Amino acid sequence: MSNAATFDTRTETAIPVESPLAYSYRRSGAPQAGGPSRLQLRERAMLGHLILRGGAIVLDEAVRDVLGLNLPGQPQTLVQDASGERSIQWLSPDEWLVIVPGGEEFPLETKLREQLGSAHFAISDVSGGQTLIELSGEAARELLMKTVVYDVHPSHFPVGKGVTTVFAKATTILRRPSEDRWELVIRRSFADYCYRWLLDAGAEFGINVQQ
Amino acid sequence: MSQSKQQVYRLNTGGRIDRSRTLSFTFNGQRYQGHPGDTLASALLANGIDIVNRSFKYSRPRGIVAAGAEEPNAIVQLGSSEAAQVPNVRATQQALYDGLTASSTNGWPNVQRDLMGLFGKLGGQFMPPGFYYKTFMAPASMWLTYEKYIRKAAGLGRSPMEADPDNYDHFNQHCDVLVVGAGAAGLAAALAAARSGARVMVADEQEEMGGSLLASRETLEGKPADQWVARVLDELASCENVTLLPRTTANGYHDHNFVTLHERRTEHLGDTAPVENGHRQVRARLHRVRAGQVILSTGTHERPLVYAGNDVPGNLLAGAVSTYIRRYGVAPGRKLVLSTSNDYGYRAALDWKEAGCKVVAIVDAREVPAGDWVDAARAQGIKIITGCAVIEAKGSNRVTAARVAKIDIEAFKVTGPVQELACDTIASSGGYSPVIHLASHTGARPTWRDDILGFVPGLVKGVQACGGANGCYALGDVLAEGVEAGIKAAAAMGHAVQTVTLPSAERLQQGPAVALFQVPHEKPTLRGPKQFVDLQNDVTAAGIELATREGFESIEHIKRYTAMGFGTDQGKLGNINGMAIAARCLNRSIPEVGTTVFRPNYTPVTFGAIVGRHCRDLFDPERYTALHQWHVERGAEFEDVGQWKRPWYYPQKVNGKTETMHEAVARECLAVREKVGILDASTLGKIDIQGPDAREFLARIYTNKWEKLAVGKCRYGLMCKDDGMVTDDGVTSCLAENHFLMTTTTGGAAAILEWLELWHQTEWPELDVYFSSVTDHWATMTITGPEARKLLAEISDLDLDRDSFKFMDWRSGNVAGVPARVYRISFTGELTFEINVQANYAMHVWQTLFKHGEKYGLTPYGTETMHVLRAEKGFIIVGQETDGSVTPEDLGMQWAIGYDKPYSWIGKRALTRSDTKRENRKQLVGLRPKDPKVILEEGAQIVFDPNHAIPMPMVGHVTSSYYSPILDSGFALAVVKGGHQKLGETVYLPMADGQTFEAEIVSTIFYDPKGERQNV
Repeated sequence: MSNAATFDTRTETAIPVESPLAYSYRRSGAPQAGGPSRLQLRERAMLGHLILRGGAIVLDEAVRDVLGLNLPGQPQTLVQDASGERSIQWLSPDEWLVIVPGGEEFPLETKLREQLGSAHFAISDVSGGQTLIELSGEAARELLMKTVVYDVHPSHFPVGKGVTTVFAKATTILRRPSEDRWELVIRRSFADYCYRWLLDAGAEFGINVQQ
Repeated sequence: MSQSKQQVYRLNTGGRIDRSRTLSFTFNGQRYQGHPGDTLASALLANGIDIVNRSFKYSRPRGIVAAGAEEPNAIVQLGSSEAAQVPNVRATQQALYDGLTASSTNGWPNVQRDLMGLFGKLGGQFMPPGFYYKTFMAPASMWLTYEKYIRKAAGLGRSPMEADPDNYDHFNQHCDVLVVGAGAAGLAAALAAARSGARVMVADEQEEMGGSLLASRETLEGKPADQWVARVLDELASCENVTLLPRTTANGYHDHNFVTLHERRTEHLGDTAPVENGHRQVRARLHRVRAGQVILSTGTHERPLVYAGNDVPGNLLAGAVSTYIRRYGVAPGRKLVLSTSNDYGYRAALDWKEAGCKVVAIVDAREVPAGDWVDAARAQGIKIITGCAVIEAKGSNRVTAARVAKIDIEAFKVTGPVQELACDTIASSGGYSPVIHLASHTGARPTWRDDILGFVPGLVKGVQACGGANGCYALGDVLAEGVEAGIKAAAAMGHAVQTVTLPSAERLQQGPAVALFQVPHEKPTLRGPKQFVDLQNDVTAAGIELATREGFESIEHIKRYTAMGFGTDQGKLGNINGMAIAARCLNRSIPEVGTTVFRPNYTPVTFGAIVGRHCRDLFDPERYTALHQWHVERGAEFEDVGQWKRPWYYPQKVNGKTETMHEAVARECLAVREKVGILDASTLGKIDIQGPDAREFLARIYTNKWEKLAVGKCRYGLMCKDDGMVTDDGVTSCLAENHFLMTTTTGGAAAILEWLELWHQTEWPELDVYFSSVTDHWATMTITGPEARKLLAEISDLDLDRDSFKFMDWRSGNVAGVPARVYRISFTGELTFEINVQANYAMHVWQTLFKHGEKYGLTPYGTETMHVLRAEKGFIIVGQETDGSVTPEDLGMQWAIGYDKPYSWIGKRALTRSDTKRENRKQLVGLRPKDPKVILEEGAQIVFDPNHAIPMPMVGHVTSSYYSPILDSGFALAVVKGGHQKLGETVYLPMADGQTFEAEIVSTIFYDPKGERQNV
């Protein structure tokens, strides 16, 4: 057991929560395009986000046992479970992002720490610090071309890829979990800027925000 | 079909215009008509508008010369309303639309009759090259005055004074092959590359793709060339892997095949973008293209001949004459004289004749011209005068005659009698210059080729030039070069080569051209009538000759001295002629003179396109905490800290009047000192540090000791760069034996995380430790003041007893029902609890604190109050008390330096240098103004002797200065040379207004020196 402090930042009590976009919805609204829209935006709020750091081999064993997923060993790759609700993304040679349904992150961290024992690793809960924005629709790729510098052409960005890249004047984690869906992991403090950017850049496609 | 009677030069047939529809437009306040398919330039010519501008320096009347991006004169201001103003648009590149409103860029007050004409005619004598340097620079103080009038008179266009209603975009593009220019070569290259399956982008600056093939006399497969163009474009448009970008200029070629394209998406539709489905369309788009391979098929610019009076309206490029006739259905005159040095120019005369106008003569500089087009001209019965050139154009507002004479090019002399041919149009051709601008942006030097009398582009890795841009002019060869370039580029990107069958082109016989640039006149260049080299910048052959006589030999110096190829022109028409003239004067060859460097942008790019979406409220990211909305609703004023918006102070309405900042801050300060205040401290950087070596890592990165910090404890840490200067500070807490939470300054968060990674990855990889940013995960609410404990106790299950939860301890528990880590650390000197919860719960906790805090007088305070309170306690702010030249000892923080740590740490070596140990370094002290009402100015210089003769030795400056409500006095922190030894001494602060303030050097701790209040 690593000698680190764990702390469940969630509570079972019914406490009102505000996702990183809560203020943005009130400030900028959530546009609903009348008729068929070429572009949908949806926040997947309140998920569990963990940053995993350590050696790939030892972490791989642990996440396979605990989560039933392989650790993505190849750079810029993303693995998900069958439901798509749990995923691990390569971030750097010793760094991965784990996203699980909200509330699962603390039990998962605890189990991983047990499994990893005295190995050198780190797990940091960042669930309050970021949110996941999902883009879909035929114009999603064009919107991304206006937004991120990374090449999002299907030949260069197949399903199962994930990168860290520049989002306008901020940064984002960008991933493609399926043919027709893109996910952006946005830092809380930049979320409003990113949201306003996406609404502005997406206006010409009739962006549709699902809440 | 009958034509509008105003369109005097419009032909009844031919061209790619739609005569069935009429568009009206306004130029310089007059209404005219044109047709879809026209450019503004072709419509102006059709309407017989000879003068489109006044020249830059001499204010001479100028007409349209060219048909493309190289046009030097027809630079117009566009826009029917103030908000829609666009300067520097070339009329030759602007598609006509109904309602277009344009005016001349130059010519104040108007082009037909302008005041500057007089100045130009008289003053022109006094405006030799280097004029600005020689005249207006002295006295230097007057330059701003001169410049205002010169700009108004010279006219470089003007920007709109109202907000632009349009949207602009940036697009990040990636492709295997970028083809710049969709003429014959570019289309062939694109076709070859596209068929291989490569990702291909084709950018072409014109309204229609096809380049010269749209107006060509030549056939492909026996049919008009534009039919082949249409077929190729159809195929390319049907390919999923191909992006076609018409109306898109490649303006900059940057490192690593990064090319910027300026796409004008709606400029052909109106002066603001149309609204579709309730959304204003994107007017212009900047494509940021990262290309694997670049193919430059940018074609050529025809080189005009330099002869006297060559700027009088009615002087055109030969190729432009053909383009206006064949593409736009306009013959811009009635009687043509053609002056040429080559066969290509003959096409203008043939086209002119076929349009039903009179060709007075072809004047060919060659003794014995021979070739298919020469034969065709002879067969048409056109008079050809050989061994001669047009030496001067007569006329003032329009050409009235051409003076023609026999010339000896080698001897640069007129050798025969002059004959005058009456005409209204003179077309000239001196051959072609490959468009090498983009290649030149990469820094590659072009190569001169004697066989084509032009420079071909120098090429860096991953770029090819083909067709005209590569000095290849015969259509069949151009197509072959294009295909080859396309195949090569695709293959380089790993795409299998496909065969492309070339359409059969006519094989034309052509005679060799002669190298003619400047045409000799009877009078020497310096005394003869003006021969213009660069029409846009009013640079003459005489100017270049004078520059060489004044000792300017490098072409770069000649360019700067004469302004040749400056600004938006970028030497498109004039540069090669200018170099040839310089070469003649210096008795060198053109390659010896060399070429100047062309710079981005190739043609002007609007600010809108450059800015894209990065404007207004998206100009820069604004980072918000989880409590931002509360601050907004509470009426906070905000301060920018890095990209964060932090509440600065919260002005209240008192008796119907909004508090000033001073009043609000005084109220907030007293609330903290006497009751309890609350600060949103979420912006502080937070780094989660885990690993068995975390403790040792901290001890190496901080100046102070960390060995003994127990779990549950917090410690202030000071960080130096390796030069021993303070770079960041903050409190780090021991969460578990192998687990720490570091806080950094708000602005330093990202840089400090990088700093930690840098040292770990490069210097100390043996240390087992990991770092992750958790800044955004936690929201931090600081409650501080005597009532803080009572307030927290109401909503928390924590044991807050002063002995079990001491100052500099942290504990976890529930606050307002939310799991929280609470730190007893203080930046105010008061009893303080920093409550940290997961940010998604922050609003609830904050509001709960207020629900319970009212009875304790809970007052929100901002960064200004925070600054006052910490300064009263002598706590530094990195970046305010420090400026990268301040050591921990300078700050009097010896207690935070562990010189006896068992290993070295960052800054240790530097802190033992003689300079950092020097006694009279600037040291941090407190300053108490002798007059308590005085608030010293931050940044004010400090002297010991105010009676010292000026310049007085300056011994330090004020770093922080405020009014302290609790002390009811001004007070300051300052750095003073040797200040630590000068407590009690008086220093002086002479101000700009002549006042001198007196202050006493005191301790940096102004309030509660024993620190009792935070320990209660």
